[in-house]
Amino acid sequence: MSMLKIENLHVRAGDKQVLTGLSLEVAAGEVHAIMGPNGSGKSTLVQVLAGREGYEVTAGSVSYNGRDLLALPPEERAREGVFLAFQYPVEIPGVNNVYLLKAGLNAVRKHRGLAEFDAFEFLTLVREKMKLMHMDDSFLNRGVNEGFSGGEKKRNEILQMAVLEPSLALLDETDSGLDIDALRVVANGVNSLRRPDRAIVMVTHYQRLLDYIQPDRVHVLSGGRILKSGDKSLALELEKRGYDWVRQEAAVA
Amino acid sequence: MSVATLQESRSAGERYRAAFDERWRGNDAPNDALIDLRRAALERFAAAGFPTQRQEDWKYTNLRRLEARTFAPATPAAVSANDPRWIANAGTRIVLVNGHCMPGLSTIEPQLPGMTLLTLKQWLERDPAAVAAFIAQTSRAQPSALEDFNLAFFEDGVVLDLAASATPDQPIYIVHQWSDGAAQVMSNPRVVVRAAANSRCIVIEHFIGATAGESFTNAVCEIDVAAGASVEHYRIQQESTRGFHIGHVNVRVQQNGRYASHDIALGASLARVNLSTTLQGSGAHAALNGLLAPLGTQHLDAHTTIDHAAPHTTSDENYRGVAGERGRGVFNGKVIVRPGAQKTDARQSSRNLLLNPGAEIDTKPELEIYANDVKCSHGATTGQLDAAALFYLRSRGLDEAAARALLIRAFAESIVTSLGSPAVRSYLEQLLHERYKVIA
Repeated sequence: MSMLKIENLHVRAGDKQVLTGLSLEVAAGEVHAIMGPNGSGKSTLVQVLAGREGYEVTAGSVSYNGRDLLALPPEERAREGVFLAFQYPVEIPGVNNVYLLKAGLNAVRKHRGLAEFDAFEFLTLVREKMKLMHMDDSFLNRGVNEGFSGGEKKRNEILQMAVLEPSLALLDETDSGLDIDALRVVANGVNSLRRPDRAIVMVTHYQRLLDYIQPDRVHVLSGGRILKSGDKSLALELEKRGYDWVRQEAAVA
Repeated sequence: MSVATLQESRSAGERYRAAFDERWRGNDAPNDALIDLRRAALERFAAAGFPTQRQEDWKYTNLRRLEARTFAPATPAAVSANDPRWIANAGTRIVLVNGHCMPGLSTIEPQLPGMTLLTLKQWLERDPAAVAAFIAQTSRAQPSALEDFNLAFFEDGVVLDLAASATPDQPIYIVHQWSDGAAQVMSNPRVVVRAAANSRCIVIEHFIGATAGESFTNAVCEIDVAAGASVEHYRIQQESTRGFHIGHVNVRVQQNGRYASHDIALGASLARVNLSTTLQGSGAHAALNGLLAPLGTQHLDAHTTIDHAAPHTTSDENYRGVAGERGRGVFNGKVIVRPGAQKTDARQSSRNLLLNPGAEIDTKPELEIYANDVKCSHGATTGQLDAAALFYLRSRGLDEAAARALLIRAFAESIVTSLGSPAVRSYLEQLLHERYKVIA
């Protein structure tokens, strides 16, 4: 059974129909890449999956581990193991990074029937994950994303993901704005989280990220629908030929 | 006709004239040196009455409920010798109960080096002429009606004198509290701080309400900061939600002196603080931080005035308001730059958060600039919780109420993080944590 099953999803933002019948299935252990031109609906898709307000689902369904995902508030989705790495992580002055990490982790653990971590257990875990992301201790006591560079924000997203250990990770343009060293660190972080019981859906513009995180499936999203799917060679072809041929092919079919 | 109706038919001036006569013509009429000053103040109050909303300065704050009541001067009463509401390790403690200093609850002894601490009652007994002279000297040309009210009725308070270059190693922690069950009574305390040249100190004023009845605090604080001296002044107002609280803080800062205020308004049914700072010498600096956090039907008002009366003076003002439920906040920040006060640098920021549709905050900068080579900036914002931040927190597993509480606290606590006293900082952090845990 698929972990995530999206069927004929129609989503409107304001008076704009952004998704127009999107279907996608992702099984545990798989990594999927969603590519597509600007404005095709990639970010809308992952935001709707994470539960952001301001979108109206006008038709279709999303099931996650057999449950109706769209019926859950965002925090329930997070506790059930859905994680969104934001394209633009929000700066929250006055809320400690470490506080948020601990509150999030303990909310998830409590939901799973596990004991909440005490300060020592928690810090041991976070320090280990921070090493993975090449982040130093000063990150912990800064405000959430406050004054972080673009690269630091993206690393912080993957750190949160490493700490929360989701079963479905949605990465929204996690590669954008990263230099090659930062990209490597972020990709390593993501790769270390690949597991047979975890699925990853990455939204990206560029094939570059896929050199580091090898996808099992690649989808082309355009005009609010998936026009074409393939293996990782599709990404290489898109890099060479752009998106127009996919749209033409879809129009003919 | 009932007694209550009889009372209400008389003007505030008549009612308090009766209270005045009863208080000062009794057997224990003290200090003759002051009685004339008091009488004159009472008559000015009687003529002016309580301020009304027709006065520009009181446009947003209605004192009708205060005026409708008649409060009797409160008498001393016993309270617990170790009140859990006192801030632990805040400093040398002086406790006033119902406006009267309680030596048994205070830790004034031993005196800190370079510092003289008296109760106002002691000063009145020892040198009433000096008290009268000080009052005459610090009284403004046109004192406000409620400052006059305090002058007419004040009985006790704290007088803190710092010698030149004195730097006591701990803050002076002044607790103004009501005894349990205090009702329909008023207190008019006065605190005097005189910091001589190059001295520095922290003064914490903490107002704690009674649990039961209505009370009226009308507190005056006079602060003189001499050349090169530095005074950090906290005002933590936690009166009962049935109480009335009016505060008058008058500060004069000389050359290169520094005054920092942390004005935290959490309690009272209706509170108003007039915080007036005059920068009298070149290089003088004032930093005013404030938090107005009305909930329920609380009405919390801060009116500040920073008077740049000398060149090269600077001020930095940062007030935040968080209004929840049907609470109402008022901030009015007046900045005056006198002719000749060139190179003044004045900054003001008022940021406000409304938690419910029923909440309201009125914020207004007021700039009067009579010099041409100055920098004055001000900014005011009023908004709701940031939806993007809320979603971000929820997407990490925090439920909506917890996420809201976290954001509210982060907004309010930004005022608290600048406090120089770690004891007060952690006390207030804890307080804000509790305050918004249930409200979000």
